[in-house]
Amino acid sequence: MIAELRGLKPQQIAAAAFRLREIGLVIALGAAVVFFAIRAPNFLTVGNWQDIARDVAIVVVVAVGETMVVLTRNIDLSVASIVGLSAYISADYLASHPGTALGVAALIAVGVGTVLGFVNGLLVVVARIPAIIATLATLAIYRGLSFQVTAGDQVSAFQLPDRFLDLAASKPLGLPTLAWFAFAVAIAGSAVLRWTRWGRDFYAIGSNPEAARFAGIPVGRRIILAFTICGALSGLGGFLWASRFPNVDAVAATDFELDVITAVVIGGVNVFGGSGTIFGVVLGAVLVATIQDGFTLLRLSEFWKMFFNGAAIVVAVTIDALVTRRLQDALRRRRAEVLAARHAAAPPRPEAAP
Amino acid sequence: MAVDDDNRVRRTPSPPAPLVELHGVSRSYGGVRAVDGVSFSVRPGTVHALVGENGAGKSTLVKILTGIVQLDEGELVIDGESRRVGDAQTAHRLGIVAMYQEPTVFQDLTVAENVFAGRHIRTRLGTVDWRAMRRETARILGELGVEIDPDTPVRGLGVADRQLLEITKALSSSARLLIMDEPTAALSSHEVENLFATIRRLRDRGVAVLYISHRLEEVGELADIVTILRDGRHIETRAANELSQGEIIRLMVGRSLDQLFPKEDVEVGDVVFKAEGLSRGGLFADVSFELHRGEIVALAGFVGSGRTEVARAIFGVDPLDEGQLWIEGRPFRPRSPRRALRRGLAYLPEDRIHQGLIQPMSISRNASMAVLPGLTPGGILRPWRETALARRFMEQLRIKASSPSQIVQSLSGGNQQKVVLSKWLAAEPRVLLLDEPTHGVDVGTKADVHREISRLAAQGLTILLISSELPEVLGMSDRILVMREGRLVAELSRADATQERVIAAAAGVAAA
Amino acid sequence: MTRVLLRLVLRWETLLIVAIVGGGIWSATLSEFFFTRINLLDLATPYVFIGLLAFGLTFVVIAGEIDISVTSILAVSVVSFAQLLDHGVNVWLATAAGLGVAAALGLVNGLLVGVLNLPSLAVTLGTLAAFQGLAFVILSGEGVAEFPQRYLSIGGGYSKQELPHALVLLVAAAFVLGLLLHATRFGRYLFAIGSNREAAHLSGVPASRVRVTVFVISGLMAGIAGIAYVGFFGSARADAAQGSLLDVVTAVVLGGVNIFGGAGTMVGVFLALILVAVLRNGMQLANVGGDTQNIVIGVLLLAAIAAGNLGRAIQDGSISLARLGIRRRGVIRSDAKEAAIAMSVESQTPKGR
Repeated sequence: MIAELRGLKPQQIAAAAFRLREIGLVIALGAAVVFFAIRAPNFLTVGNWQDIARDVAIVVVVAVGETMVVLTRNIDLSVASIVGLSAYISADYLASHPGTALGVAALIAVGVGTVLGFVNGLLVVVARIPAIIATLATLAIYRGLSFQVTAGDQVSAFQLPDRFLDLAASKPLGLPTLAWFAFAVAIAGSAVLRWTRWGRDFYAIGSNPEAARFAGIPVGRRIILAFTICGALSGLGGFLWASRFPNVDAVAATDFELDVITAVVIGGVNVFGGSGTIFGVVLGAVLVATIQDGFTLLRLSEFWKMFFNGAAIVVAVTIDALVTRRLQDALRRRRAEVLAARHAAAPPRPEAAP
Repeated sequence: MAVDDDNRVRRTPSPPAPLVELHGVSRSYGGVRAVDGVSFSVRPGTVHALVGENGAGKSTLVKILTGIVQLDEGELVIDGESRRVGDAQTAHRLGIVAMYQEPTVFQDLTVAENVFAGRHIRTRLGTVDWRAMRRETARILGELGVEIDPDTPVRGLGVADRQLLEITKALSSSARLLIMDEPTAALSSHEVENLFATIRRLRDRGVAVLYISHRLEEVGELADIVTILRDGRHIETRAANELSQGEIIRLMVGRSLDQLFPKEDVEVGDVVFKAEGLSRGGLFADVSFELHRGEIVALAGFVGSGRTEVARAIFGVDPLDEGQLWIEGRPFRPRSPRRALRRGLAYLPEDRIHQGLIQPMSISRNASMAVLPGLTPGGILRPWRETALARRFMEQLRIKASSPSQIVQSLSGGNQQKVVLSKWLAAEPRVLLLDEPTHGVDVGTKADVHREISRLAAQGLTILLISSELPEVLGMSDRILVMREGRLVAELSRADATQERVIAAAAGVAAA
Repeated sequence: MTRVLLRLVLRWETLLIVAIVGGGIWSATLSEFFFTRINLLDLATPYVFIGLLAFGLTFVVIAGEIDISVTSILAVSVVSFAQLLDHGVNVWLATAAGLGVAAALGLVNGLLVGVLNLPSLAVTLGTLAAFQGLAFVILSGEGVAEFPQRYLSIGGGYSKQELPHALVLLVAAAFVLGLLLHATRFGRYLFAIGSNREAAHLSGVPASRVRVTVFVISGLMAGIAGIAYVGFFGSARADAAQGSLLDVVTAVVLGGVNIFGGAGTMVGVFLALILVAVLRNGMQLANVGGDTQNIVIGVLLLAAIAAGNLGRAIQDGSISLARLGIRRRGVIRSDAKEAAIAMSVESQTPKGR
C-alpha cells in the first residue's frame, strides 16, 4: 500500500488518507471478529456483544471529550482520575440521599468533571504548562483528592438505589442503556464538531495555531473550552462507571486513561491535532474492546491488552507520520515537474563572457 | 479641462483617488536604513508592480503596510486619512491583505473552511452554515475563473491552488489592497496564465494589487504601474507601458560604485571544488561549476533562484537528487553537515539568528561548536581551549563583546555574524560557502567581513559568496555565477561584469 | 563584587537547598528522631530508584525530548531479571541481562524518535503502555521475592549499619552522570540540540546519533534504577514503579531543568530529589497518606513549571525596558531583535533564494 501511495498525486493521497483510517479500522474489526469467532466459542453470542457494548460505552463517552482536547494539539491524561472522583462523589450522594433523581446525580458528576476540566484548561493556557505535564500532575492530584474524599471508605452496591444499578443492567431494545448513552454522546459530539463555530475552531487550532490566532480565533478560550468539555464528559463517564461498577472506591478507573487514549489515537485523531472524527474514535474503541474481549474469552493473559494498546499507539503514530511524509514528497515532485516544464518551454538566454 | 474642436468641454476621466499613499516613509534596523523616505501612491483598480533587487526595501514596505512593523518616519494615508497601521488586525480591517509564496493554510480543512476560518457563516440557529459557505466560496472562485471544488481538502492542493485559495480568502473578506510577493515562483506557465487572468479580474473589480516580482517579463505583461526601489529609496513610479525592461534594470541598479572593497588581486590556483549536474527536484537543476583555490566566486540571482538550496545541498543539509561533487579531486557525497565539515566545507547560513547561532550559549561555545571533536580528545571538554579559540577570533575579527563568555543573544547583529564566521573559520575549511554574510549588518562590520574574506582568499581559501548586494558582488568577486529559476544561466568574469549585466541575466532579459 | 556574589547565590540550586533545609526543620518539629544521623542518611533510600530514573530522564529532557516510558522500562528490566533468576541463571548474569533489556528498550524509543523523527511524546506514551504490558506478560502478575543477599544489598544494604548503599549509588550516579552531562562533548551536544536542533545540525553536531544515544541512556538508567528498586523493596513485581512517574518528572522539573530543552544541571535534579524525599518523609511523619502526598507533589510540579514560565516572561518583558533606552546585561539588544524581525519576515519567502 505504501508503494502504491508513491505514485499517486497529492490530492489523491490526501483524499485517500482521509478514508484510509476508517476503512482500515472496519477491515481490522472484521478480521478480528472473524478470528475470534472461529477460535472462541462464546464470541458471537448476544450476551458477549452486550458486554462489549457496555465496555465500549464508557470509553466512548470519555473519548469524545478527549478527542476535542487532542484536536487542539493537547492531551488530557487526567481523565481517569476525573472519572474516578466524579464516580465516587455522585454515587456517594445517591447512597446518602436515596430519593434523588438520577438526573441530579448525573448533573453532580458532570459538574465535578467540568470544574476539574476547567482547571486543566487554565493550567495549560494561563500558566502555559505543557498539557502532558499539567495533566500528569492533575492525574495525581485528582486521584489524591479521591483518596481524601473517600477517606478509606467505599460506596457499595447495596447502598445504591436499584434504578441506578438498572442503568447498567437494562437493555432497552436489546442494546444496553450505557450504549445508548454512548450513542447519544457520540452523536452530540459529532454534531458539535461539525456544526458549531467553536467546534470547527478546534480543528483550525490544531491544524495551524499561528494561522488560527491570525484569523482572529480566540485560541486560549477555545482550548480551555476543550478541556472543560473533556472534564464534563469524564464526569458523565464517572456517573456511568458507578452504575456499572457500583463498588466505588478511591482507585476506581485507575489506568482507564490508556483505554481512552488508545481509542482516540487508533481512531485516527492525529496526535498533532487538526484532524479526526468521532466516528473513527468509536470504531477505534470498538476495535480495542473487541480484541480485549476476545483475549479474555481465549483465556489469554489480560496483560496482553496493555501491550496491545501501547503497540497500537506506536503503530498508529508511525503510520500517520509516514503518510504525511509521502504527501510532502509528492508535493515536491509535482513542483519539480512544473519547473522542468517551465524551463523546457522557455529556456533563458545564457550570457557567457569568458 | 480640455476643449475639443466643437468647443465643448471634454471631460477627461480623472484617475481614481489613491487608496494608499506613502509619504516619506522610512524605517531603520539598528543603523541600517531599510526604507528611506519612500513616497508613492497605489490606486484602486490597478496592478501596481513593485520592483527592486533583494534588499531594496520591498519586504520592509510590505511589513509596514501590513502592520507587522512600524515606520520610523513619514506617514501612511489610506482613503485620504493619515493612519497608523499598528498591527496585523488593523491592516486586515483596512482591507490590506498580503500573500506570500508559502500561503499559510489549514491543511486539514477544506477550501471553503479555509476561506471562512474564524468567521464562519452561521444559520439562524447559530450553527455553521456549510451550504452558504460553500456557495459563497464557489461564487468567488467562479468570479475568479478558478475551478476548484470548495470541498477539496487543502492538504492535497499544490502551491498554485493554495495561492488561489488565499486570493479567495482575501476577496471574501473584502480586501481592497492585495499584496502579492513573488507569487509565480512555483507555478507552471499554465498556472501563471490562470493567475494573471484572476488578477486582471480582481483589478476590474476595483481591487488594487501590489505585485512584487523580479520577473520583468511578467511585470511587463501584467502591470499598469511600476515603482522601482533601490537601496531603500524610491527611484521612479511610472506607467508600465512607458518603461522598457532595459530601462527598469538600469533604474534598479543605477548606483555609482564608489564604495571601495578591499579586494586584493590574488593568484588563482587550480580547481579545488567541482560540481556537476546538481539537481534537487523543484528547487534547482543541472547546476555545474568549478572553484579554484584562492578564488572568490559570487553566486547572484533573485529570491527563488535556488542559490541557498544549492549551498545547502552541497553542505549535506538537504538531499541531492542527482549530481556529483569533487573536493580536491576526490569525489564527495554530502550526506550530512558533519561529513561536509570533515571534507573541508563550511556553510554560513543566511538566517544567522536561528540557524547560525545557538542564542542562549556563549561566544566561546558557539565558536567552538563545529570543531569540538578536535578540542575534546577523549570526549572531555576543555573550556580553556574554547575560550582561547574565542579570544583569537574576537581579536582577529574585531568582535566587540565583554568576554568570550558573553551570550550571543546580547550581541549586536554585526557581532553575531562575526561569531558565526568565527565558528566556520575555526574549522579551517578549504571551501567556504557564505550565504548573504553582510545582510542586515552595519557598515563597519561589512567592511570588517570583506577585509577578512579577502585576506582568507589571499591565503588560499576558496569562497562561494551568495549575495544579493550588487556592489558587494562586483567588488569582491573574481567571477560571478548567476542563477535563475534553479539553473545557472550566466558566468561573468570580474572584468566583464556590470550591475546591469548581472541583473539582466538574473531576470532573463537580454542585456542592454 | 557583590554583583557576582549575588548572581552565584540567586541560583535555582540555592533555592532548593533553602527549601530542603526548611523541609528538614518542619520534619524535625514532627518527630524528634528526624535529625538523627541514621535517619538523615536513610532519608533518600526509598527514593533512590526515582532519582536514578530522574537522572536518565534529565538527559532526554535537556536534549529537547521527553520519555515517559522510563517506569515501564524499569518494570520490564526487573521482571526479566527475576524470571532469569527463577530459571537458575547466575544472579550477576541475570542482572547484566536485565540491564541489557533496559538498554534495548531505550534503543527502541531512540530509533523511533531519533531516526524516524516521530514525536517523542506520542512514541513514549505508546511504549509506556507497550512495555508495561510486556512486563506483565513476562511475569504474569506474580512477584518474585527470593533474591540473593549480595544482590539485595546493592539497593537495600547498609555499611556499618548506617550508610545505605543506595545513597552511595545515588551520589555516585549523580557524580558520574553530572560529569557526562557537563564535562563531555556529548553533554555539550545535548544542550546544543535542546536549544536549537537545526543550528546544531548545521554546525556538524550528529543530532540523530546523539538523540538515539540519549534514549539508550535513559533506558539503561531505568535498568539500574531497577536494581535499586529490587534491593530496597525486596521484590520484583510487574507493576514496579508504576505510579512513580510523577515523582520522576517532578524531580527533573523541580531541579531546574527546562522542560523545553537546552538547560538544566544534574546537581539541581539531585537536590530536587532530596527535597522530594524530605517532603514525603515529612508528610509521612505527619501521617499524611501516600495519595494525599501525591497532591502535594503534583502541585509542586505545577508550581515549578509555572515559576519557570514566569521567570522567562520577566526576562522577555525586560526587553521592552531596553527599547526605552535602559540597557541591561544579558538582555537581547533591541536592534539585534529588530534585525531578527526583519530577517524572519524576509524568510517568509525563503524557500528559494
